[in-house]
Amino acid sequence: MRRHRLLLQLGLALLLLALIALLINNLTVNLIRTGLGLGFGWLGRPAGFALAETALPYAPSDSYLWALTIGWLNSLKVILAGLVLATLLGVAAGAARNSGNRLLRSLAGTYVALIRQVPLLLQLLFWYFVAFLGLPSMPVGGLIQLSNQGIQLLGLNLSVEFCAVLTGLTVFTGASIAEIVRGGINAVPRGQWEAFRSLGLNEGLGLRRIVLPQALPAILPALTSQYLNLAKNSTLAIAVGYADLYAVSDTTITQTGRAIEGFLLLLFSFLLLNLLISGGMSALNGAVLSRVRRSR
Amino acid sequence: MTRWPDRLITLLLLALLSWGGWVVVHWLLHGADWSVVSANLPLFAVGSYPSDQRWRPLLWISTCVVLVVLTLTAPRGAGWRRALPPLWIAMAPLGLWLLAGGLGLLPVGTRHWGGLTLTLLLTAGSGLLALPLGVLLALGRRSDLPVLRWSSTAYIELMRAVPLIAVLFFGQLLIPLFLPPGLEINRVLRAVLAFALFAAAYIAEDVRGGLQAIPPTQREAASVLGLSPLQTLQLVVLPQALRVALPSLTNQAVGLLQNTSLMAILGLVELLGISRSLLANPAFIGRYLEVYLWLAAVYWLACTAMALLARHLEVQLDPVRSNR
Repeated sequence: MRRHRLLLQLGLALLLLALIALLINNLTVNLIRTGLGLGFGWLGRPAGFALAETALPYAPSDSYLWALTIGWLNSLKVILAGLVLATLLGVAAGAARNSGNRLLRSLAGTYVALIRQVPLLLQLLFWYFVAFLGLPSMPVGGLIQLSNQGIQLLGLNLSVEFCAVLTGLTVFTGASIAEIVRGGINAVPRGQWEAFRSLGLNEGLGLRRIVLPQALPAILPALTSQYLNLAKNSTLAIAVGYADLYAVSDTTITQTGRAIEGFLLLLFSFLLLNLLISGGMSALNGAVLSRVRRSR
Repeated sequence: MTRWPDRLITLLLLALLSWGGWVVVHWLLHGADWSVVSANLPLFAVGSYPSDQRWRPLLWISTCVVLVVLTLTAPRGAGWRRALPPLWIAMAPLGLWLLAGGLGLLPVGTRHWGGLTLTLLLTAGSGLLALPLGVLLALGRRSDLPVLRWSSTAYIELMRAVPLIAVLFFGQLLIPLFLPPGLEINRVLRAVLAFALFAAAYIAEDVRGGLQAIPPTQREAASVLGLSPLQTLQLVVLPQALRVALPSLTNQAVGLLQNTSLMAILGLVELLGISRSLLANPAFIGRYLEVYLWLAAVYWLACTAMALLARHLEVQLDPVRSNR
């Protein structure tokens, strides 16, 4: 029986290796045919294209590597802002779905039902072409300046592309987070609500101090996968011309023809990004769990 | 005392809603021009398919719609219900034949495929490929053979780490590079393959969740009854696991349908792609809102129909209810 299993595994491994060898053989043949080798030397060459939005100084004469780094930072910027805003929106909408106010409850329900059944890409195009490019030029309360060139907020200058991607990701992910939060809140026994009400706490305070902390252990794991989705979905920014990591990679590959290397770099960058998010979330998860346990 | 903030919220929301409603009505009456939609309905439905052959994609879409209605309204216990599952599976090959032609029909190249037809075909084709692949990956990940387990896990985790648009883009670029020279497959097929390879990783995780929900006693009972491991899998474990995984598989299917819109970025003229080329037409310049609202309605309907079908299937498969 054991020999049987060993043979089976050996066969499988050989089959897998043969498949990989076949693919690599085809790849080399094709690469020789097109005259491209494999290598990363081109990363040091000047990129030659301009980027509309740069967190650090960048010029077209800078290297491809630097252009990709700028793209990575742009991705990080919109992802981090999106995580915070989507969480706020999602928690608010999720709490609203459990609210005693019928109008508020049905509005939140409509929001979730509508947003989740329409493709994110379509929503992004809407936010960009209809909402933000259609903005009239106007100051709002002196601190905010709106126009279809961008939004100035307390000295921060946000581009239209950034705003469109951020809004799209926030609204889309917020709907999914709302469902998670609602599920988490529903998992808290009804007795907890009755208990804080009978202690004289009002609804908002009770929700924040009694119910949500107990719902968190159920919410956090699902939240992590939504955060990872948001990070992956941010690559749709290319559709509205925001210079994120994927958009820069796309331009780089089109210019250099280095599809394999470009793919490997993108894969590596995303693994790094995923690691950052899931690492941060598991730290948060641990902290929350230990706090909940201590307060019991 | 708790009443007045509640009333305040209601009043505020009502004010907001009526303001929003007024803006929308004003736009509908004075701003909106739906000619961009009404003049291009055939484009939205079938893309640039040759006009004398349009009946073929239209026939396929109507068959899909009829099948959806039949499935949702068929009375319990009717004998012809048994014909429905094979009919559903036949839809993808049927669509492929009707669109591509051959076997008595005039061949039509994939560059003429488009609109809703292409969206549905991409969804159906990649879904049909992804489901068996996903089940195999899930079984591989739970196998006690380390080589199989490691390779399945590596594939699933790598695919889930990458954004879909990257998989699709590199699918278009890389699939030809990994094929023997001379063997070329067209863009639509490459898209279906890339979608299926991507979706299979997510489906695998959902199926694995279902597999984990099956108590080990089921396997033991099956082996006591003398079933072989393969029979156990086929007759006992998989049917139950898939039923448990059905709600999350539904979400994957709806996601797949929505994600076909990403092919617009890569130049296929499915539903969203055809709209992008329409909006570039000077005759319809600036009519973004009308087109986007129309598309949102179509996608919403298609996704909701899918969710309804899945809910229906869940009820059908529920052993407690169907034994009643």
